[in-house]
Amino acid sequence: MWLLLAVVQRAAGSPADQFTLERIARGDGDALAELYDRHARLIYSLALRILRDQADAEDVVQEVFSQAWRQAARYSAGRGNLVAWLLTMARSRAIDRLRARRVRPSSSTSEQVLAAMKDEAPSVEMRLEWAGRAAQVRQALDALPLLQRMAIELAFYEGLTHAEIAERLEQPLGTVKTRIRQGLLKLRDQLAGAVP
Amino acid sequence: MSPTDLDHQAFQESVGLYVLDALPTDEREAFERHLRSCDTCAAEVRSFRSAADALPYALPQVDPPSALRARVLAAAGHPLSGRAAGPDAGRAPAFSIWQSRIGWLSAAALLVVSVGVSGYALTLRQRVGGLELQLQDAIARVTRSEQQLATATASAARAEVRLAVITAPDLAQVALAGQPPSPRATGRAFWSRTRGLMFAASNLPPLPSNRIYQFWVVTATSAISSGWTFRPDESGRAAELFATAPDIPPPVAMAVTIEPEGGVPAPTGDKVLVGTTQ
Repeated sequence: MWLLLAVVQRAAGSPADQFTLERIARGDGDALAELYDRHARLIYSLALRILRDQADAEDVVQEVFSQAWRQAARYSAGRGNLVAWLLTMARSRAIDRLRARRVRPSSSTSEQVLAAMKDEAPSVEMRLEWAGRAAQVRQALDALPLLQRMAIELAFYEGLTHAEIAERLEQPLGTVKTRIRQGLLKLRDQLAGAVP
Repeated sequence: MSPTDLDHQAFQESVGLYVLDALPTDEREAFERHLRSCDTCAAEVRSFRSAADALPYALPQVDPPSALRARVLAAAGHPLSGRAAGPDAGRAPAFSIWQSRIGWLSAAALLVVSVGVSGYALTLRQRVGGLELQLQDAIARVTRSEQQLATATASAARAEVRLAVITAPDLAQVALAGQPPSPRATGRAFWSRTRGLMFAASNLPPLPSNRIYQFWVVTATSAISSGWTFRPDESGRAAELFATAPDIPPPVAMAVTIEPEGGVPAPTGDKVLVGTTQ
C-alpha cells in the first residue's frame, strides 16, 4: 500500500512538473511536449465531461496548454501544484463555454461521447498511478450522501450557481449550501491522508 | 463578538461555493473582499480547493485524439509538432547544447553527474521492479477471474441446456425405481428427442472401486449409451446431462447399471435403477 501511496503522491504534484515548468518558462518546447504527455489525458477527460463534445474539449486542451506556455514564467509554484493549475484553467474555460452554450442550447452529443469513453491507458505506470488516485477519489465520492455528491458535481461539472443547484435538486437554498459545505469537508478529510 | 467574527460566520457557508465557483458575481466579490482579511477562510479555501482539484481523477479517462498533440505544440511554435510523437522525439537540439558545453565540465563534475545519474537509474530500476511485481499480481488476478468466468459460463450453459430440456415441447418423463440390491435409490429422466436428456438420481449406493454408474436408453432391439457414465456425490446424488441423438429408436425403458470404469458398449453389471416409458 505504501508504494501505491507514494505513486499517488508523485502523480499529484511532482518535482518533475516543477522542473518542466521552469524549462517551459525558458521557452523549451520539448518541456511543453513532456507536460502534454503527462497531463493531456486528465485535462481532456475533464473538458469532455463538462462539455460533452469532442471538438470543444480539444479546443479547451489547446487553450490550456497555450496558456501554460505563455504564462509559465509568471506562474508561481507557491500557488499550488502544476496539475491543479492546469485543471483550474481547463475547468474555467470549459464552464465558460458551457455557460455561453446555455444561452443558445445545442444538440446533446452525450451518447457519442459515452461511446468514445473507452478506458485506454498509455502505459502501465500511468495506469497504476491512475488506478490508485482514481480509486481513492471514487471511494471518497461514493462515501458521500447522494445529495451532497450531486450538489458538488452540479457545481463542479455543470457550472451551476447555488440557486440553480437548489432549483435542479428541488431543495431549499440553505440546504444546498449546507450540503456542499458538508460534502467538501468530508472529501477533504477523506483525501487528506494521501493528497499533498 | 467582533464584527469580523460575525462576518466570518456569515461567510463560512460561502467557502465551498466559492471554491466550486457556484457563487453569483455579487456574492463572489463580497466573499473575496472578506477573504483578504480573514485568514481562517483563506486557509479553508485552500484546503477545500485541494479536495475539489481531486474530483477529475474520478472521471472515466479518455485519450485525446493523437492529432491534438501536434496542434498544441504547433500553437506554441514548437518545431517538434511536425514530427512523430514519441518519448525521444525532439531531444536532439537540447542535447547539442549540452555537447557544446561539455568542454567546460571537468572530469570531476562529470563524475558527480554520472554518480547522480546512476543513483537515479537505480531508483528507476527499483521502481520498475516494484511496478513489474504489481503488474504480475494484476495479471494473475485477471487470469483467475477469467478461469472463474469460464467455469461460470460453462455452468450457465449447462443450466441453459437443462432448462431447454425440461421446457421442451416433446418432453417425456421416466421415473426410475431402485432394484433389489439398492431399493432406496430413485431417479428421474427428462428426455426430449430434439434437446437431449437430463437425469437426476438420489440415494445411489457408493460405488465399488474401479466401478462407475452407466446410464442406458433401452429400445426394442438394444440398449444405447454413448459413454453416459457418472459418479454420484457423497450423499448419493447425481444430476447429469446427456446428448442423445435425435434419431434414436423409441425407448421402451431407461436404466442405470454398475460397470467397469470407462464404461462399456453393452450393459454387463447389476441394474441399480430401471424405469419403463408409458
